[in-house]
Amino acid sequence: MKSLKLVCFFALSVLSSVATTTIARAGDVVWWAPNWGEERARTLAQKFMAANPGTTVKIEITVSNGLPERVLTALRSGTGPDIIEVQHGWVNGYAQSGLILPLDDTIQDKQDYVPAAIDYVGWNGKLWAIPYRIETHGIIYNKDHFREAGLDPGKPPKTWDELTTAAKALTKNGRYGFGITGGGEVGNTLFRSLPFIWMNGGDIITADMTKAVVNSPEAVKAVEFYTNFYKQGLSPKSTLENDGLALRRLFIAGTVSAYQSGQFDLPAIQKENPNVKLGAMTIPAPAGKQTAAVLGGWSYVVPKSAKNPEEARKFLQFLNTTENQGYYTDTFPARMSSIKLPRFDDPMLKPFAEMLPYGRPVPVHKNWVKIVQAYFDGIQRILLGDQTAKESMDQANEEIQALLK
Amino acid sequence: MKSNAGLAFVLPALIVLFMLVAYPVTYTGWLSVTNDQGQFTGLQNFADVLRPRVTMQALWNTLWWVIGSVFFQVLLGVAAALLLNQNFVGRALVRSVTLIPWVIPSIVAATTWAWMFHTEFGIINYMLTSAGALDEPVGWLTRSSTVMPAMIGINVWKLFPFVAIMVLAALQSIPQELYEAARIDGANYWDEVRHITLPQIRPVIMAVTLLLVIWALNAITIIYAVTRGGPANRTLITPIQIFRLAFENVEFNQAAALSVMFFATVMLIVLVYIKTFADQPGES
Repeated sequence: MKSLKLVCFFALSVLSSVATTTIARAGDVVWWAPNWGEERARTLAQKFMAANPGTTVKIEITVSNGLPERVLTALRSGTGPDIIEVQHGWVNGYAQSGLILPLDDTIQDKQDYVPAAIDYVGWNGKLWAIPYRIETHGIIYNKDHFREAGLDPGKPPKTWDELTTAAKALTKNGRYGFGITGGGEVGNTLFRSLPFIWMNGGDIITADMTKAVVNSPEAVKAVEFYTNFYKQGLSPKSTLENDGLALRRLFIAGTVSAYQSGQFDLPAIQKENPNVKLGAMTIPAPAGKQTAAVLGGWSYVVPKSAKNPEEARKFLQFLNTTENQGYYTDTFPARMSSIKLPRFDDPMLKPFAEMLPYGRPVPVHKNWVKIVQAYFDGIQRILLGDQTAKESMDQANEEIQALLK
Repeated sequence: MKSNAGLAFVLPALIVLFMLVAYPVTYTGWLSVTNDQGQFTGLQNFADVLRPRVTMQALWNTLWWVIGSVFFQVLLGVAAALLLNQNFVGRALVRSVTLIPWVIPSIVAATTWAWMFHTEFGIINYMLTSAGALDEPVGWLTRSSTVMPAMIGINVWKLFPFVAIMVLAALQSIPQELYEAARIDGANYWDEVRHITLPQIRPVIMAVTLLLVIWALNAITIIYAVTRGGPANRTLITPIQIFRLAFENVEFNQAAALSVMFFATVMLIVLVYIKTFADQPGES
């Protein structure tokens, strides 16, 4: 009797473990989707399964913390799912290492996609991912602060000079006109300062990645423009320890009147301080020149080790119809036809949408992490007052050149 | 026969020791002279890692970090031990409270200090400005002149209780007769400290100092949690540089080369230290 009970218990536990473990069968598509879109992912999967009874979509939820390592481990060990959502910038490395499948035959209406997004995930003449979400920074500002400083909140600055003038007017009574980052993860400061270099016609390295050009007069002038917000006291004293999150906190607290960020900050600010009258503007450019921004966002990739690549492709085509891409993205969709959906017809989002065509990918070089570190150290030396912008960028240029061999 | 039997008994321990110590050390040495494809490249990695000026800067930072930390840890630790050795009401309580910094996990302490030092939200600036000691907030972690001292301060706060408790134990083992004899000879308090207390606790201070030096040389947690080596590498010490090379830039071979050099330097320091100080035939 006792042994029968034991057997029953054993059988039950085996059954339950089978039930909870994802076992991929033929006709299954395993999809790694980030947690922020979980609900919408499940809705889409249900719709697809209703229309394609032979296929089961299994969703495994990922979180952004540690995701690059997790994806790389899964890809390298060949234990990956059939579809993974990754940031655009990671795709190139996977493609070069032969870890993912090209998707030229999967993408529909390629000409409908924002070109920079397609460029981002292309390598060696092939398309290695389908971008579905794109975003850039704009500038978020406090309309009440603008009014109190005698500025017209309906007419935000358009040029560098106007931005500096506005920041000066806004800086008073313990408030800082324009918050920049100078601390935290290096990406925070790269994403906020590199666009200014681009607008002015400069870059960190040349397009063919053979030469460091961060000490060119155009780049130095842009770096000077960026760091001057701190040097002239228009950005908080804590600039050297601030990242994007710290700026958002200072903005919510009313200490910072304007700062660069993406539209994803808007709901967070409204939730914590509903009294802030939010405004958004495109990032000012030098007079007579065009604005620029770093293009960020997410793509779908199909690992080489996918158990079911054919079904995965079919599902990807379903995910990337105009409607579904527009429905699923957290920020903006990569398809121009999707951006016309009513969901994106929000006046607050307009400046961010206007920035999209000016979004550019960051270079893909094997030493990019070190290059960014050298550049960021240079920015910090200027903020610390160790060196002038020119001296600092000369040193950074030398260090970056050594990394390009 | 007899000696063979002995070998058989220690063999398991030797194998474990080999796997845990000798193998990683040897493998690091091998990594330092090969490239990421495993081909032998001689001293290329050493040259590559020494070229950027950040390596030299990190070395100087490490030097300041170690000297500053150890000096104040020993000074404060001995002073605290002398105080705690006196008779006063609530001595047991004060002794336990003194130990608190040491028993707090480093990462918790470091993160808390980072917040306390923060320019806008930090309690240190808040207290100093509201008390009128400062006119405006100071960027403790963002000024070249204050960031390393701040780091050293955290490290001293964290480890001086350890020194205090070790020295206190040594103090308590000094025979009372020595003091009585000295007092009969007319010695005052400072004479006692100079001629009895310090010589008696010297071996303990020597051992503790060596430990502190080794710990300071390996200390990544505090600095990494507070500044990550910034701003502009102002607090980058060599162990953090090794960590960055290996785990952020995935340059394991260069990281290994730097580790090998660092290891050699540390060994040299320890040997010189033991030779000059600890070996002296002394009063102990």
